[in-house]
Amino acid sequence: MSYALVVAEVRRGLFEERNLDSLGLSHLLGMETTLLMPDGAYTVGERVASTIIRVRTEETIFLNPLAMTQIVRKVIEAKGLPGAILFTSSSSGIELASYLAGALDLPLITDVSGFDAERGVFLKSYYSDKIFGEFKPKEGAFVLTVRSGSFKEHAVEQESAAAVEVLDGIIPPEGRSFVEYVEEEKGEIDITKADFLLSVGRGIGSKDEIPAYEELAGILRAVLSGSRPVIDKTWLPKPRQVGTSGKTVRPKVYLAMAISGAFQHIAGMKDSECIIAVNKDPEAPIFQYAHFGVICDANKLRDKMKDIVKKG
Amino acid sequence: MNLLVLTKRVPATQEEELRIVGDGRAVDLSKVPFKVNDWDNYSVEEAVRTVEKTGGAVTAISVGDAESDEVLRRAIAMGAKDGFLIETEEVIHDPQARAALIYTFLKKEALPYDAIFTGVQSEDDQFASVGGILAAKLGLPYASMVIGIDAFEAGHVVVRRELEGGMQERIKVALPAVLSLQSGINEPRYVSIMGVRKASKVERKVFKATEYQEHVKRMIDVVKWVYPVKKGGAVMLGGELDTVCKNLLGILKEKGVYQ
Repeated sequence: MSYALVVAEVRRGLFEERNLDSLGLSHLLGMETTLLMPDGAYTVGERVASTIIRVRTEETIFLNPLAMTQIVRKVIEAKGLPGAILFTSSSSGIELASYLAGALDLPLITDVSGFDAERGVFLKSYYSDKIFGEFKPKEGAFVLTVRSGSFKEHAVEQESAAAVEVLDGIIPPEGRSFVEYVEEEKGEIDITKADFLLSVGRGIGSKDEIPAYEELAGILRAVLSGSRPVIDKTWLPKPRQVGTSGKTVRPKVYLAMAISGAFQHIAGMKDSECIIAVNKDPEAPIFQYAHFGVICDANKLRDKMKDIVKKG
Repeated sequence: MNLLVLTKRVPATQEEELRIVGDGRAVDLSKVPFKVNDWDNYSVEEAVRTVEKTGGAVTAISVGDAESDEVLRRAIAMGAKDGFLIETEEVIHDPQARAALIYTFLKKEALPYDAIFTGVQSEDDQFASVGGILAAKLGLPYASMVIGIDAFEAGHVVVRRELEGGMQERIKVALPAVLSLQSGINEPRYVSIMGVRKASKVERKVFKATEYQEHVKRMIDVVKWVYPVKKGGAVMLGGELDTVCKNLLGILKEKGVYQ
């Protein structure tokens, strides 16, 4: 029986929780799971896979795409080609997966969020989650990256503890090397501490609209935050960014104005107690996650809100 | 430094209602406006800034139909020296096939370069994979999610990669290399319509994709297009704007965040 090779994402000594999604999908594929991870003091259940291969190398080398290709080639030498190779859909996961798929000439589907076992098709987001494609890889081995939160409930424990193997002899690649971690500068305000976030997206139109949102946030006693495009365009400073590459927030109320709801944004705010979305596009994905929704131009609603509150 | 930068023309679907047609066979984009991929706009800017410091030239390369000439003109208006179009009518979904086409093109045309820049992903398919596959095929080092270039020197580059939760890693990458740049790495310059018009006087070369099929094989197929599964969560507030606002204030009060 062919096996699935799940490549663990570990970062600064931590076994990332999103690995459970890779393990869950691996289970659904119906293949025996082999977990590949660096050798170190990580907390990992001994029943998460049939086999755990511990690679004797540093974490930052393990996460280097040049080294990963070397590592997986060694695994293939020892065990044969896996039926599937699974990575997390993250900064490093996609980087590793695409490089490996290129090196081994294997089909690749990234950001997989669904699987239909009967038809053998994988669901992948297009157009920021407005449409999904059902993709089928050609016969044989394939590489996937797995969207965080999509399959973790399928990560069932094995009947017995995993057989542990050790992989040695990894040569640090010359083409790329790790230097250091860099923490982003702290902002003047911590948006993760706010009870009420007023968050704006690129749909507001331009930077010129920001002062009026600041004013509304002021009178509502909310803290102003934004989605990635707003930060990229420097309409708001980076510490105000909500999403996977910014902050994960859980306020009592998250008021999203002109944010369509790319998955990276949703992942950073979906656990808020109450989500209110204002967007002129009725198909905006954010309405799927919101508790309350308003279909209208956010700027118009903003101005009306200000008028009403000011009048008291 | 001679830099190649990949740039793609994509549908601007942000505020468009998308319809699936032909029983799931296609997504109707006929009424959707097209534009340069946001990530590529940052990449072109970064490439131009780099050669402004180090000397050399930027060549913009696009895979797409004849209309994609638009993003090449735009790149030239931003400071690229050349624009090369690998022309194909086919929309290539498979990142392996796309990367193989570019790989074969680079090999056959033997373009000199110190680095290849791509955007981290394109807005439409979001595979975020062409740069990585291409690097592996070329046997070059690779880094994605590059959010800052700290040093661009002979033989190597020092870059910062964006990780999750506000963390970055600084790495050293030997040149030549492929780098996929993250949005927000810079503030792209404004491109005027006049600028683009002026750029159209610079000759762009057109290459037929059919000439570069040697390594191209399709490895994945789209079986069907589907709408996202509706969770049906949100209670929609309708009526006059005035009423909507009052209802919203009511919710804020109820949740205890506004008095």
